[in-house]
Amino acid sequence: MIQDIKRLRNIGISAHIDSGKTTLTERVLFYCKKIHRMHEVKGKDGVGATMDSMELEKERGITISSAATNVSWLDHTINIIDTPGHVDFTIEVERALRVLDGAVLVLCSVGGVQSQTLTVDRQLKRYQVPCLAFINKLDRSGADPFKVTAQLKEKLGRNAVLMQIPIGLEGRFEGLIDLVSMKAAYFDGSQGEVVRWEEIPQESKTEATKWREAMLNAVSLFSDELTEAILSGREPEDLIIKAVRKGTLTRELTPVFIGSAYKNKGIQLLLDAVVRYLPNPAEVENFALNLDDGKKINLQPDPKAEPVALAFKLEDGPYGQLTYIRVYQGKIATGTELINSRSGQDFRVGRLVRMHADSMEEIDEAAAGNIAALFGIECLSGDTFVGRSVNLAMSSIRVPEPVISLAVSPADNKSADNLAKALKRFTKEDPTFRSYVDPESRQTIIQGMGELHLDVYLERMKREYRVSLETGMPEVAYRESISRPAGFDYTHKKQTGGAGQYGRVIGSIEPLADKNYEFVNEVKGGRIPREFIPACDKGFQAALRKGKLIGFPIVGVKIRLIDGQSHAVDSSDLAFQAAAQGAFWQAYEKAGPQILEPIMKLSVEGPTEFVGNIFASINQRRGLIISSVEDGLFARVDAEVPLSEMFAYSTVLRSLTQGKAEFTMEFLKYSKVPAFIAGKLIAENQGRHKG
Amino acid sequence: MIKDEFIKRSPLRILEESIHGGLGRGNIGVLASRKGVGKTACLVQIATDKLFQQKPVIHVSYSSRVDHIIGWYEDMFREIAGRLNLESTAEVHDDLIKNRVIMNFNQEGTRAEQVMRSLEAMITHGKFAAETIIVDGYNFLHSLPGDLQKFKDFAGNMGLEVWFSASLKGEEPLFDEAGLPNELKPQLDEIDVLITLRFRDNRVKLEVVKDRGYPPAGELKIGLDPATLLIARS
Repeated sequence: MIQDIKRLRNIGISAHIDSGKTTLTERVLFYCKKIHRMHEVKGKDGVGATMDSMELEKERGITISSAATNVSWLDHTINIIDTPGHVDFTIEVERALRVLDGAVLVLCSVGGVQSQTLTVDRQLKRYQVPCLAFINKLDRSGADPFKVTAQLKEKLGRNAVLMQIPIGLEGRFEGLIDLVSMKAAYFDGSQGEVVRWEEIPQESKTEATKWREAMLNAVSLFSDELTEAILSGREPEDLIIKAVRKGTLTRELTPVFIGSAYKNKGIQLLLDAVVRYLPNPAEVENFALNLDDGKKINLQPDPKAEPVALAFKLEDGPYGQLTYIRVYQGKIATGTELINSRSGQDFRVGRLVRMHADSMEEIDEAAAGNIAALFGIECLSGDTFVGRSVNLAMSSIRVPEPVISLAVSPADNKSADNLAKALKRFTKEDPTFRSYVDPESRQTIIQGMGELHLDVYLERMKREYRVSLETGMPEVAYRESISRPAGFDYTHKKQTGGAGQYGRVIGSIEPLADKNYEFVNEVKGGRIPREFIPACDKGFQAALRKGKLIGFPIVGVKIRLIDGQSHAVDSSDLAFQAAAQGAFWQAYEKAGPQILEPIMKLSVEGPTEFVGNIFASINQRRGLIISSVEDGLFARVDAEVPLSEMFAYSTVLRSLTQGKAEFTMEFLKYSKVPAFIAGKLIAENQGRHKG
Repeated sequence: MIKDEFIKRSPLRILEESIHGGLGRGNIGVLASRKGVGKTACLVQIATDKLFQQKPVIHVSYSSRVDHIIGWYEDMFREIAGRLNLESTAEVHDDLIKNRVIMNFNQEGTRAEQVMRSLEAMITHGKFAAETIIVDGYNFLHSLPGDLQKFKDFAGNMGLEVWFSASLKGEEPLFDEAGLPNELKPQLDEIDVLITLRFRDNRVKLEVVKDRGYPPAGELKIGLDPATLLIARS
């Protein structure tokens, strides 16, 4: 099955949690005839939404939030790639964004641009994803698509242009006027499945003309041909469409569509727009890193080239372990031999499938631009699969270190077994979620990017794996570091009877920015024999694993090994490892050791009447308010706050603002802990060791 | 320390001397000029000077987006740090930021009372002990009668000095013989210190045209360097 790449779209639907993404996705599947009945998502609130849609899927046996769902519209194939909503899942979001060629940014016509929209918008920009905006919920009271379009311009700096205007709003929202064809569209049938085109109602004509003019003004910048046509009194539809498409592909224009997924209005026109204006895979540049020479390579969507594919998501579905891939170059067919460029392992493609909302289809091959899934492949999410003659990796996706950890203990043996299974799967799917067994307490520790991140996995363990768990208090991932250089001169010596040990190391340690560790060997004249240098390096690294202040890893250290001494008989790897460790602790004390803590970037949004409470809540958490933005009734406050102060903030914020404010948070940096807190942490750590 | 030296030698000391020791708490100061002459650059330097002295500043903006304003501060800081050869630039920078908050309002959607309520919330609930408020982009022409008086009362009650910028949009002549901007005359009573920025001889010159009850100092010996927009001695 090799399909015309021009008739392919890989898109994501990106949205703020409450803007109606699930409903919209479901309508899209319905109109593309992938599901036969529609259901509502009701009674959901912020955090619960992800869960709700999962439950919903279970009940109905369909997958609407699957990693990629394949649908058809107007002879085009559209792969809808799921982009998880919350910033706590940064890595998942970013990986999904890599795979998209275009996106639909969904906004609520009442709430407009909200804090999470800003995050999503930033991500779309970072990955240079062309996008359309869809302003949903026009049936809601307070709906104002014009205001939201203005916000897209002001708050997101997008060149947003309305392509449609509503006929009626709120309770009287009836249909749309398409500003390109200058016709009115109504959505008939019990589920809006019949689009009826009419003349524009008399009373809307002036308004429509005004907005069309504004649209043409903005759009004509992208086409000289169109400008000329307009000047000579013609406004041909195909030229307008071409110009909008050009502006969208270069990301200089964001065409805005409107509707109400809940009321079944506007969705078909949005799908038309996806096909019309978003790029096909051949129109987007994709790069890979040549692992042999470190150079960037532009991948060719040519089915005859060597295959290159990215595993962007692993899923343990009802059909077993699935690996979702996007093919960037060449084609992959059953029987193709591929190599995992990270592990070097080779494998032969067995079954190849395409996922639909309610079924799975076996396919023979998937060409460049396509999305497919493989069965039973051992790999990690983010791996690159390549053909024999190339050694490429889709540019490495940086994995942030987890900032929070939590001890969990299963209630019984069955839970323990299931916990192991759950952890194995989750850690494979999400590299920012990790787990290990603490050698001292023998407890299982899970680590992640925030409280909510861990909460979601705990919830999934309960629901999907029936694990009954007791959990400890969440703990912040502190780090230790040094603030000034210090020297060492240390001799490790045990020469009393039996085989002796001898090693002497001389050098210095110094603070290192932007890197955890660096080892520089400047020993001359074989004062430390070359074979023992790696042992020194290993010894220093061992010391760094657990600091002396509060027992957390030490980061940002450069070790300079200058000199030393060895013994012809008694020196050994072990002796030099021990010497390096001893040397490190000797210098550490003199190097102004300090504790670092993770600082989060916090963004709180709510009605202006609560700004005082929001300011106070940030101040009480040692937060640094960077800015506040007030726009009539709504305010957004941006701040930097230590993670250790942010536990249970959602509850606090809810009670401070009558549930009307919300926040997003993501890791920003590590910073030095203030002295009074550091003192407390050190005392606690000592207490733990004595007690 | 170099930082203290910088504070002592700053051209802003000349400005302070010529308005009798600075604007002072409870007072309203206004920098007036046509658009694009350098009011924001001046305000940001007045704020940065306070920040160097570890005095907290709230920067209120009615027009620009927050990232633009932060950009202004970053540019000014880079210019200043580059000239000073500051030791541990990053540390000084972090110290400055701790004392700065940016508050952005939409003037059409937000009444002056609301702005003052939020400022008060920042100072009291946010425990942000600002002495100086910078207000950029406030539209004097479209402000409601009495708003400036409310700001003045607020400054008095809270013990703040407030610097505004006023963008002059009228027809020429903008200024009368005494150098006073014609369009600010209705609000002259509420303004304690009024400084104009005018582009002359390839430089932007600062001129004190009102100074409470004192005779105004007139043209100052400082101006804006057109290349860097830094305030410098003429």
